[in-house]
Amino acid sequence: MPSYPLADLKARIGETKTTVEDLTVEPGKVQEFAAAIHDPNPLYRDPDTARDAGLDHVPAPPTFLRTWYFQRYRPEGVGIDFGFDLGLDPRHTIHGQQRYEYDQPVFVGDTLSGKTTLADVYQRMGSRGGTMTFAVFETTFTAADGTRVARVENTRIETEGAITDDRDTNDQSAVGRDD
Amino acid sequence: MRWAGMTEITGGSTLDPATVAVGDGGPTVEVEDLSREDFVRYAGASGDFNPVHYDEPFAREAGYPSVFAQGMFTAGVASRFVVDWVGVGVLTSFSTRFAAQVWPGDSLTVDGSVAAVDRSDDRTTVDIEFSVRSDGEGVVLTGTATSIYPTAKSPMD
Repeated sequence: MPSYPLADLKARIGETKTTVEDLTVEPGKVQEFAAAIHDPNPLYRDPDTARDAGLDHVPAPPTFLRTWYFQRYRPEGVGIDFGFDLGLDPRHTIHGQQRYEYDQPVFVGDTLSGKTTLADVYQRMGSRGGTMTFAVFETTFTAADGTRVARVENTRIETEGAITDDRDTNDQSAVGRDD
Repeated sequence: MRWAGMTEITGGSTLDPATVAVGDGGPTVEVEDLSREDFVRYAGASGDFNPVHYDEPFAREAGYPSVFAQGMFTAGVASRFVVDWVGVGVLTSFSTRFAAQVWPGDSLTVDGSVAAVDRSDDRTTVDIEFSVRSDGEGVVLTGTATSIYPTAKSPMD
């Protein structure tokens, strides 16, 4: 259970913070990220291949914005909870869903900043008993010229113990948060 | 959008927007025999240093049988399937839901199919559904993605 009452957490829905500063899409980082997800696609490595695909620049993989979490891109005090101290137990908080909506491709050479809003907090009973606390964070990434690049929704779930199978996370389907 | 007005953009996709149809399947992606090294490499590439993904004593103390993959590692493997098939730079959404954990020794298979196609005068919008299965846990991730391909107008328009 979070260390704060649910009503206190719900009162914070809508709160917004700057969470990402100067996230630089560097060619070497894009290649390293692609290698880490086992993706050998030359699009991420070769400007000519990108041009042949109709892209002006080398693109980043769809989930590359995850790298905002490097310490160098985070303002002081912003961690896995985006700087919202919701009192969730980090050992038993898992990643439930992640959704990206892109206004523009993310390209090598971009420098992005981000603001995160606490979009929702709610609780449900898990199928094996115990309270599950859901926190939904929505981050908007903006390019240096002010145009919006992407909106990213991250759902974190605190359970009352270690989850080692899919039964509890499947409860999301019962609460209508499926895409 | 930076791709507005372009007619040659494919984003590296291997599907043909002119003929793609609901139910079409994509090229299966397989990643075999994951190891702790894979989770460490993803930590280093993504900046996600939650110790539950690489620190075995920490993971066991928290009640897990071993370390397990970052959800976003598995989402990244799923994105390889999506990009191999529908491309990147043409994507307008990429969404994943995590159903079960991925453990050292697991092998992953990603596949999916076309859920919807919408053709208008100047663009074709394709929605796909996909899932990642591990040989240990069954379905570990389900997801959806949408891509948009600008369509060249015919000279008669």
